[in-house]
Amino acid sequence: MQRYIIKRFLLMIPTLLGVAVFIFLLMRVIPGDIVELRLTSEGGFVTEEVLATERARLGLDKPLWQQFVNWIWGIVRLDFGTSMWTGRPISHEIGIRLQLSLEVAILATVVAILIAIPLGTLAALKQDTWVDYAVRVFSIAGLSMPSFWLGILIILFLLIFFQWVPPMIYTPIWVDPWANFSQIVWPAVAVGYRYSAVSTRMMRSSTLEVLREDYVRTARAKGLWEKVVITRHAMKNALLPVITVIGLEFAFLIGGLVVTEQVFNLNGLGKLFVQSIAQRDYTMTQTLVLLVAVTFVLVNFVIDILYGWLDPRIHYQ
Amino acid sequence: MGASQTRVETAAAVGRRVPTGLPMWLQAVVRFARQKPLGAWGAAVVVVMVLVAIGADYLAPYDPLKTRYHLMMQAPGAKFWLGTDTYGRDILSRIIYGSRTALLVGFSASIFGATVGAIMGVMSAYFGGKTDLVIQRVMDVLLSFPLIVLALAVVAVLGTGVENVIIAIAVPMVPRCARVVRASALAIRETPYVEAARAMGFSHMRIMFRHMLPNVVAPYLIMLTAFLGQAILLEASLSFLGLGVTEPTAAWGLMLKGAAVEFAERAPWMGIFPGLAISAAVFGFNLFGDSLRDVLDPKLRTS
Repeated sequence: MQRYIIKRFLLMIPTLLGVAVFIFLLMRVIPGDIVELRLTSEGGFVTEEVLATERARLGLDKPLWQQFVNWIWGIVRLDFGTSMWTGRPISHEIGIRLQLSLEVAILATVVAILIAIPLGTLAALKQDTWVDYAVRVFSIAGLSMPSFWLGILIILFLLIFFQWVPPMIYTPIWVDPWANFSQIVWPAVAVGYRYSAVSTRMMRSSTLEVLREDYVRTARAKGLWEKVVITRHAMKNALLPVITVIGLEFAFLIGGLVVTEQVFNLNGLGKLFVQSIAQRDYTMTQTLVLLVAVTFVLVNFVIDILYGWLDPRIHYQ
Repeated sequence: MGASQTRVETAAAVGRRVPTGLPMWLQAVVRFARQKPLGAWGAAVVVVMVLVAIGADYLAPYDPLKTRYHLMMQAPGAKFWLGTDTYGRDILSRIIYGSRTALLVGFSASIFGATVGAIMGVMSAYFGGKTDLVIQRVMDVLLSFPLIVLALAVVAVLGTGVENVIIAIAVPMVPRCARVVRASALAIRETPYVEAARAMGFSHMRIMFRHMLPNVVAPYLIMLTAFLGQAILLEASLSFLGLGVTEPTAAWGLMLKGAAVEFAERAPWMGIFPGLAISAAVFGFNLFGDSLRDVLDPKLRTS
């Protein structure tokens, strides 16, 4: 087990290094660098010399490999450097937005779980009835609706029925928890509904599988209350694959946030990513992407390990 | 597993009641519709959408690009059924023409992405060893990006516009297809007919393309149909962010971009109808793809 964990941990390094190289090179082939964009975009004439000095100041005149090594070496020491656009430390720029995005992400996960587990179980128990079909249609609809459109609909709904829209300025949770919640919950619902679709289906199929197991039949045969059979024997085992799906999707939630934050005009990580790509902010984009990849790879790793712990039947070599 | 077995049996029983005397393909269609009513509904939506896209010139009441500055943000009514946008363009006509953009991007990106992915998967499985390792590592890297993040990065490199959006959407689909196809190709590599082909001294290319690729058609088709809805959704998202299809082309995501929040109160129809079109289209593709997966290969775990 220990050897497996170590091996599995070490395998993450080449993947992350690959991500770093990939995004680093991708940023450099984007036409027009940050210096040109910032100094000449207003149509002003700037001499080559000024451009060259500015590039030197940002370290863009150094050979590519050196820029890369500098960046990675910084990351390893947890020094993310400064944003090329604002000049402020990247850790600061990310820090002030992380709370908002993380809140939306966590709340969206809660919404997804609240939808997926009851609906998925219900669909499995009523397999092939209209309930099952309704749940399927509901979850496929979630996959089909763009989350930003759901966001627009929510805003329209709030506007028409309550003459109220969520405020644009973020209220931290410790200042006014209720104001914070009423602001965060709407984007969380928009993202969470979509997010629930895959987990609902997973919950349905894994419950179906578990219900056919011998131990469920035994539990029923010994006269246990059906409710106990479902909650204690079936659901507990059916949850495993669902946890995987929820975990993996959590790491990718930032993808959903990229568009949804735009609709609700929230200044979170998704918006920061779109901005920094548009501004050719190399260091910021690279670091953000690496952050997403690290989260994804780590979540994957943790799930793998958790699996063995939750399900004693699984053995690692 | 008992559940799926009984379901297959009943499905087969239903299938036997298909009227004979029809052409083979029509029988297959009837059988699919009987077995998977939801899938048939999905397919119907897709067919309607294709017809609308083909007949856009005849169906659309107005020119989708015609601006009318004296008729901006008209509410839905007798003249403009779904109202007009901030340029006074007819929303219904733009939705009808928008189906062309959605289908073009959806189909091209999915076919492109799934095909490249399938070739990568087969190559990876066939050669094995170092080639397999390298391809798998590259795919792992690509898989560590959320779909839209990768697509955005590619669009940033290539620029906006329909062709570039197609490529940007295809790229994140490649590793997903490659992984699934590789899994089936690994089994095919060990079959006697591939061994025979090798013993005959056929070239690698010939074995891969003539003997292995045709046998991974099932997972390929499954991934392809699963991508179609995703691709349309991604195109809408990119266009919504202003990084996809550009004005004045009629595209659904783009229509929502202008409509979004600023005009929510004055012209809610601008925000409702294009989104409805996207959802209906993707819903159709998803329903159809889902059922196709059940029919083509019930044992395959492609999700």
